[in-house]
Amino acid sequence: MSESDAFRVFDIQRFSIYDGPGIRTTVFLAGCALRCGWCQNPEAFRGEHATVLRPDAVMAEVLKDLDYYTVSGGGLTVSGGEPLLHIAPVQALLTAAKRHGLHTCVQTSGAVSQAHLAAVLDLVDLFQFDLKHMNSARHKQLTGAGTERIHGNARFLRDQGATVQFRMPLLPGINDDAENLERTADFLLGHGAADLRLVPYHRLYVDKYAALDLTPGLPALVPPTAQDLQRATERLAARGLAVAVDG
Amino acid sequence: MSALHPKNAAHKAALLGAEHWLCMERARYYTESHRESAGLHPSLRAARAMQRVFEKMTVRIEPDELLVGNRSSQLIAPPIAPERGDFTFIFGHLMEELKEFGYRISPSDERVLRDEIIPYWQGKTVRDAKIAAFQRHGLSSPLNVSPREIRRKLRTFGVGALVRLVVEQEDEGDHLDLVARLPRLLRAVRAGSGDNLKGRGRCTDTQAHIVLGHKNVLRLGFSGIDAAARARRKSAKTDAERAFLDSVELSCEAMRAFSERFAVAALAQVGATSDPERRAELDAIADICTRVPWLPPQTFAEALQAIWFTQNAAIISYGAGSGITPGRVDQLLFPYYQADLAGGTLTRAHALRLVEEFIIKLNNNVIIWPNIGGVRLNHLGSDVENITLGGVGADGEDATNALTMLFMEAITNTNLATTASFRVSKHSPKDFVRQVVAIHRETNSPAFLNDETAIQAMVRDGYRLEDAREYCLVGCVEPSGNGDTYGATGGSKVYFPTALDMVFNRGKTSFFGNQDGKDTGDPTRMGTFAAFLAAFYTQLESLVGWVTDATNLRDTIWAENFHNPLISSTIDGCIHHAEDMTQGGATYNFGAVGGGGLGTVVDSLAAIRTFVYEEKSVTMAELRDALASNFRGRAALRKRLLTGPRFGNDLHPVDELARELVARFCAMVSARKTACGGHFKASLISYGLNVYEGALEPATPDGRMAGEPLSNSMSPSNGAERRGPTATLNSLARIDHTHIGYGNSLNMRLPVGVLKSEKGIESVAHLVHAYFHKGGFHVQFNAVDSATLRAAQARPQDYADLIVRVSGYSAYFTRLGRRIQDDIIGRTEFETST
Ligand code: SF4
Repeated sequence: MSESDAFRVFDIQRFSIYDGPGIRTTVFLAGCALRCGWCQNPEAFRGEHATVLRPDAVMAEVLKDLDYYTVSGGGLTVSGGEPLLHIAPVQALLTAAKRHGLHTCVQTSGAVSQAHLAAVLDLVDLFQFDLKHMNSARHKQLTGAGTERIHGNARFLRDQGATVQFRMPLLPGINDDAENLERTADFLLGHGAADLRLVPYHRLYVDKYAALDLTPGLPALVPPTAQDLQRATERLAARGLAVAVDG
Repeated sequence: MSALHPKNAAHKAALLGAEHWLCMERARYYTESHRESAGLHPSLRAARAMQRVFEKMTVRIEPDELLVGNRSSQLIAPPIAPERGDFTFIFGHLMEELKEFGYRISPSDERVLRDEIIPYWQGKTVRDAKIAAFQRHGLSSPLNVSPREIRRKLRTFGVGALVRLVVEQEDEGDHLDLVARLPRLLRAVRAGSGDNLKGRGRCTDTQAHIVLGHKNVLRLGFSGIDAAARARRKSAKTDAERAFLDSVELSCEAMRAFSERFAVAALAQVGATSDPERRAELDAIADICTRVPWLPPQTFAEALQAIWFTQNAAIISYGAGSGITPGRVDQLLFPYYQADLAGGTLTRAHALRLVEEFIIKLNNNVIIWPNIGGVRLNHLGSDVENITLGGVGADGEDATNALTMLFMEAITNTNLATTASFRVSKHSPKDFVRQVVAIHRETNSPAFLNDETAIQAMVRDGYRLEDAREYCLVGCVEPSGNGDTYGATGGSKVYFPTALDMVFNRGKTSFFGNQDGKDTGDPTRMGTFAAFLAAFYTQLESLVGWVTDATNLRDTIWAENFHNPLISSTIDGCIHHAEDMTQGGATYNFGAVGGGGLGTVVDSLAAIRTFVYEEKSVTMAELRDALASNFRGRAALRKRLLTGPRFGNDLHPVDELARELVARFCAMVSARKTACGGHFKASLISYGLNVYEGALEPATPDGRMAGEPLSNSMSPSNGAERRGPTATLNSLARIDHTHIGYGNSLNMRLPVGVLKSEKGIESVAHLVHAYFHKGGFHVQFNAVDSATLRAAQARPQDYADLIVRVSGYSAYFTRLGRRIQDDIIGRTEFETST
């Protein structure tokens, strides 16, 4: 099996209810160009923990819950890692999903080549697009790459008329300062986006690191308190953005 | 949602705080009359006995009650029906344990019990006659509990299992105490398992499990029922018919006299009450009780009182723990509600207060479970008086109404262990399921039932379509006719792992050891999995044969000796046929055989197929020996077996075993005829008893140790569900639920936190819709997280009103035995993505 027609899957999660509309199955693909210190899916960059699968095998698993998608308006979410790194098999998977009438969602960091986004544009009903920090230097420090390509891709999706839902991990002391929040709001409003989903940082995943013999990049990071969340929500809302907090 | 009415909050507090008593009034007056009526027709004997009970038992009106009708002389004291034999058995052998569990009995009641009740019924009860009949027919054998036998059983089952069998007692500190008690407890074991069916199933002493004909009481009143019996008497042909019809007249008269006693009591209290509001309430109670249930009710308050009187009287007549079911209360009451609202004589708030009080009263139905292994099951709290809400009407149109919602609100407000079944059809209001899911945030009661599947199953079993659409849920989740059926939906059961045990032991059960079944050959010489499976089905077929034979023997005893003309008078068909319900008088008649341990046995069969026949990594001889020794010295083999494929994970080959097993079991059961001429229907329900059901089962090839719990109802084994709720539902839905005439239940712990968001609630509702679309029959959710449950174990006093569902039951968590608590905690919690 060649790399071009298979991908490395490190998890397939059924009854995902926070990854897009309805009840969904989320397929997690290994590989990511970034190295975020708070990454909940370290398997993403330890490829040996993934299984090499062909899109049709993944699709067979996804279709097991077809009835639940039909009833709930749900479908397939492709996540990672960065799922758009190896585009051919993702394209095949999304094509199959559309053929079965599923709602499709791709969760992306935006740190991919624009050609890859272009290749799946017509196959994706919803992009969930992560914004981690507005300051490129700080972004590079936190994730290993600047914001230029990511923001360029956000613009590209807007220009192409794609449906994009922006998300932001809320990391206390890292990206929840007034300046960053305001810049984030302005960036989104400037891109015609009216809303943002805040994903509060949590530590439920830390055991995974130990199991993989890794250490989290930001071991001292703590989850936001209710006040942190409220403050951030208010700051963003004050700029005119509708803010939702993910469960 | 509103808050519980303050008066109802007081009723609830009184109920939760009340002492548990044993009251002998029902037992004593029934016995007194029975002693005098020897030689009379059994219907007349029963009618006279109940007339005596209703004349003489204490009549109480509690402070601020609007609905009246007490069950016994104490706020909490189950009515005792000694003629059944289950109560007299438990009082005769386990009074000490009952007292330990907190039951109180007055010295005079204890004297009456010891000197009058137990001696009179000795040898005369259903239970005594049943055990004699079973032995005559070679269905049961005296259980040998000699020290030598104990040693033999200990080798197979381990100390834990045997101790559990005697009394749930795992605390080592109590060891000495247990040793001191052991001889007495072993006598109890011998007596308690006198109906042992040689370890091949269960057939309880009681039948019942029926939906009362409240519809007839509301339509006709007992005066109208009385008139119908008199009219029918004119064309009666035999003395037996006349005797039954006379007994109906006596029962109706007794109901009238009983309710009038409450009118008198209410008027007596008026004089003693200064509060003008309470005086007005008591006046109203007196008015209502002089009218209903004798006359057909005219108002909502009268209709609810008529239902409560009838419900309460029926339970007193049959005794506690009999699954006497009110049925479709939202449908029964809706015309009165609508008319009163329109006429301006009732407000919604007042109706809510009445319904809340009704629900609190339904929950005052404590049982003393006469199960030797399950003594502590009396701490389950209440027997089920399942109320059915929503669903389609006889015309097939949606019948969900304003009262459905009002009951939902009352269930939420009362937050008690109310067993409530919400019928869902394709025509249900769009938001209905989501609304019921949302009440899980406050209480854990609701179950979801699928109309399309249930109605199809009813029609398959012979109901007219219009009657099928009126089905109500009896007991836990058994669909039965609305006041037209003698259902006996519970009580008889086989355990699938027994059939497996008998394959390995060539027709013997490990526990009893007698050669009672067929020798299906040497398992080590079964060359293919198909051959092994064929042997399994041969054994299962015999189990079904034994348990249905036993059930028919028992039912004949009821039909010949112990009638219930009061309940019969409300059921369609009995007056027309001039026959008691126990004789087959009802329009529809069925029997039940439950199947237990589906998940355990499917996982076991899958393990045999995988390891013995496919991988060939384990030999059948190794497996047989490992099971016989309860895996002693074979930990590695057990570990391997535990890695086998499991039911409940959307694995087609495993699910296929379950599908075939259920289809074949249902066919075996429906092929058997009942004593009344109907046929048996299958169910897959555990009644919360699965912990005890495992006590007599040896180790199984899924890696389960001897004596450990079996899987619950139709749910996968504890801990087996690893791929989330959709995978589990898919596995379950591969089974054709329309063949399971008496229902199946699937209990699912909701993911912790899922109810916190609207999206979560909506997604749970979507699970229900999709499962029902796929043909699922029942699902219910537990929304309590395990941390809470552990905290409740540690500090029960702080969690007195914490409710969980055990199988189809709702129960107070802190009143459950420790093992059942652990079983609930052990249920898989699904992780959702966050
Ligand atoms: S972009 Fe996502 S997957 Fe990649 S490192 Fe960051 S958090 Fe992890």
